[in-house]
Amino acid sequence: MLRYAALAACLGSFAASAQDAIRWVDSYKEAREQAKRTGKPIFLEFRCEA
Amino acid sequence: MQQYVCVRIARMDDVDIGLFEYDRYNTLYFFILNADEQIYLRYGGRDTSQDTYLSLDSLELALSKGLQLHQQFQRGKLPKAARPQPKFARDIPLLVERTYARNSCVECHLIGDFNLQHKELEGTLNKPQDMFRPADIRAAGVYLDVPKGLLVKEAKGAVADAGLLPGDRIAKLNDTVLWTFADLQHAYDKLPRSETAMRLAVVRQGKIVDLAVALPKLWWFSDIRYKQLTVDPRVYFETRPLAVEDKRKLGLDPEGFAAEVKYVSAMAKALQLHELRTGDIIIAVDGKSKDDLADTPELFIRLRTKAGDSAQLDLIRDGQPVKMELKTSRMSFRK
Repeated sequence: MLRYAALAACLGSFAASAQDAIRWVDSYKEAREQAKRTGKPIFLEFRCEA
Repeated sequence: MQQYVCVRIARMDDVDIGLFEYDRYNTLYFFILNADEQIYLRYGGRDTSQDTYLSLDSLELALSKGLQLHQQFQRGKLPKAARPQPKFARDIPLLVERTYARNSCVECHLIGDFNLQHKELEGTLNKPQDMFRPADIRAAGVYLDVPKGLLVKEAKGAVADAGLLPGDRIAKLNDTVLWTFADLQHAYDKLPRSETAMRLAVVRQGKIVDLAVALPKLWWFSDIRYKQLTVDPRVYFETRPLAVEDKRKLGLDPEGFAAEVKYVSAMAKALQLHELRTGDIIIAVDGKSKDDLADTPELFIRLRTKAGDSAQLDLIRDGQPVKMELKTSRMSFRK
């Protein structure tokens, strides 16, 4: 479990390296709308609520 | 990351779980897709070994590949994938009863467990297919250089026999194009458990090489003890199959699953499930000593009985035949 927690933390810092540029959205519908509007692909993460 | 629209989904209430199908017990799982819901690739994975399939390097590779595939899509050069039948968590009545009706969170693990419980109730639970997932690619002999995506580090057993070599990059399983470990694991896991062969396409020195792999017995087996599965009968002992020669010496069927008990968990005593000891030799369960799938008595019990059921064991203890009742434990879901 510790291993996964460590990896999750690493992934967090990976994202944090571009923290200023990243804006996580929590609505799938909104993500699709943004993707349509901007022409970007979607990076979708499933995770449990903290 | 700024080249993506990043979305985190913490509640599964309205997610099309038919489209976003994956083993719900993965700790981390990502999809890269477009606004039309065409999935380019997946990323994630979990097992009980020390070598996790997740790494920052492999994630970075997946993110780069996702951007390339999106460009291809925008240029009209990516074939459109067929969309799976939609399915929603609210289609699982037990889940509705335990979550929606109580205004509780619909979690991934709950979807996994209640889906299996429903199948058990309906009599459609296919344990090798539904419970033992994701099938472990190492059972076929595939060992990957994890940070480098689908680069083969070592090929053993069935895939080695088929000609897979270290340094090959796996590109396809049957007709499914693969980019990540999660893609490979998902495609392998979707194979019907009755399957006896698969095709792999690999890139070797810039060329595509097709390999026909004869799948071994139990190619689908994976260690799922980390899961809290309600439908998995817990027995709290482990055995080592007897060698054919030892079976013959004892007058047992050489093809049977007779095995020596190597470990008994304290849970067996605590839950009063059985009185097995290390050194006992289990020769039959409910009068059966061999099975098409199971190679050990504990796998036979997990596949052929229902969680909470009892079974009769035939043992040899200190050279003497012994009969013993065993009760299996049924776990309840916990977070």
